[in-house]
Amino acid sequence: MRIRFLAPLLAGLLLSGPAGAQVRSVEIRTPRPFGYFLGDLVRAEVDLVVEPGFRLQAASLPQPGALTYWLDLRDLDATASVYGDARRVRLALTYQTFYAALDARALEIPGFTVTFVSESDHGATTVKAEVPAWSFNVSPLREVQPPARDDPRDYMRPDGQVGPGDPRPLLLGAAGSASLALLALAGLARDRSWWPFRARRGRPFGRAARRIRALARRPDPMLHHRDALLALHDALDTVAGRRLFADDRGDFLKTHPAYATEGPDLARFFEASRRTFFGPGPEDGLAVLDLPALAALARRLAHAERAA
Amino acid sequence: MMNQVRSGDAMLTDWRAAATRFEATVGAAVLGQARAIRLLTIALFARGHVLLEGDVGVGKTTLLRAVARAVGGAYARVEGTVDMMPTDLVYHTYLAEDGRPRVEPGPVLRQSEDLSVFFFNEINRARPQVHALLLRLMAERTLTAFDREYRFPNLQVFADRNRVEREETFELPAAARDRFLMEIGLEAPQDAASRRALVFDPRFHDTDALIAGLDGGVLDHAALPGIAAAIQHGIQASPAIEAYVIGLWAALVRPGEAGIRLPGLDMEALVQGGASPRGVAFLVRAARVRAWLEGRDWMVPEDVRAVFPEVMAHRVFLEPIYELRRAAIMPDLCRAVFETVPAP
Repeated sequence: MRIRFLAPLLAGLLLSGPAGAQVRSVEIRTPRPFGYFLGDLVRAEVDLVVEPGFRLQAASLPQPGALTYWLDLRDLDATASVYGDARRVRLALTYQTFYAALDARALEIPGFTVTFVSESDHGATTVKAEVPAWSFNVSPLREVQPPARDDPRDYMRPDGQVGPGDPRPLLLGAAGSASLALLALAGLARDRSWWPFRARRGRPFGRAARRIRALARRPDPMLHHRDALLALHDALDTVAGRRLFADDRGDFLKTHPAYATEGPDLARFFEASRRTFFGPGPEDGLAVLDLPALAALARRLAHAERAA
Repeated sequence: MMNQVRSGDAMLTDWRAAATRFEATVGAAVLGQARAIRLLTIALFARGHVLLEGDVGVGKTTLLRAVARAVGGAYARVEGTVDMMPTDLVYHTYLAEDGRPRVEPGPVLRQSEDLSVFFFNEINRARPQVHALLLRLMAERTLTAFDREYRFPNLQVFADRNRVEREETFELPAAARDRFLMEIGLEAPQDAASRRALVFDPRFHDTDALIAGLDGGVLDHAALPGIAAAIQHGIQASPAIEAYVIGLWAALVRPGEAGIRLPGLDMEALVQGGASPRGVAFLVRAARVRAWLEGRDWMVPEDVRAVFPEVMAHRVFLEPIYELRRAAIMPDLCRAVFETVPAP
């Protein structure tokens, strides 16, 4: 407890038999004895100087709590130190007054007794130190009879004005957080392949049909026959999930029954592809399946694909 | 070549019919092994040596004996044992009736240069020294003995290997394995009819009688090398198929770079080496024969695919930690290669 204005108040030395010799002095110090209002904290320091060998009996200290109907002991702190050839115990007391005073008057904080013990081989010696009562002045908060007002609200002070706040940093923060959240959501969607990252079930045959139709329109079929065959091969590979050869046609039609009706034409396609790529050459392949027929096959496959 | 006077195409057609007869003959003795018989036929016309691998009692020996019988020509057979030495193949030493030691030609030389099928049973029981001798016999079809060089122009080595036992066996060296055209895995037939016939039909219980009952000499074994060369020249490989085979090769050796992913395997550290150029050349040879058997004079990717696992799988050397799981990994890898590499 820091006390700025010390008002030393020497309460006196108690000289009563042997106790008076063992307790050398009791001193109460308060910041000021006046100017207290309802609810104020009253702080006091009590210095007790005793003979060496005596120590404070902690149980003898007053307990924090309500002392009277108007006074609470809020806090108590005891520190012991060496004081010359004696021992000093300093009690830091914090009281709170709840006295609703109508006029300025003095109130008395009651005294209490503190016990010190000295233990020796022959037994324990106790000595009591009396901390005397001391008083301070409380004052009323307002006059007893304030002037009458029409509106009871006039008794109250107006609300304090709140200065205009600057919402820009908050708005910026909110916008930043929102964009971060959106980014994180986008990342999550990509990771989990949610919309819009979910790949649509492609339509490889549709793509191949468009490509072959474009190729079939060009003038020289011999040049584009290979590309057209490759386009349909690509689509077949994609649909089957592996590289599909002529010998795999049966398996493919079994696992993809949607295209079963095109079986014979697929056989012709594979034969043409074989002849073009591995056999005699594109002329031979064209003879088996020319470009318009190939385009028609791709169109029918694309149609079956949409229906599937 | 023998049939130079006839036109090449007609000759190839005649021989195709003979090959079909050959397959039918062998198929009559060995049930439910159509794929193995087809592969053996391909090996026969590709002039490649074959290693059969399989369980006990699935018919490895019977199949090879039936093939040897149907091919005709001289036939020699040895059983691999731990104490067999290379000289046991070449020389036959014994005490004659007059009490003097004699040295006569052994199993390989006895039939002299007419030998067309040399059948090595349980090859992994023989020591590496024997494998080394076999290496030369297979690669060069020659042997030095009695101070002169013997040549076996028609020779084909058929070997079989028991897959179950590993004790007292010697793993074939990589060089010897690479010289086999194919390593064919043989399983017991799966269809119920074949299984029932194999178990209950007494015809299949006496192997000797079964083989003796086959029509011997369906093929003219002496003409085989000539026709094999004619097939290799007669079957065309388009640039597309060439690029495809090279693509397969690259994907097999570096599956990681080809974009192949197999579950639980580190693709970058899976394949250690192997798949030699000789192996890929063998692959193309076998694929050509297959195209010819299918009645085409040009190759298609299916020809390559049909012979790929048997021709290539045993030439790939995996990292040691994967080598023990080879039987499970290689079929997956071969399938993945074909599912990944684009053709054309």
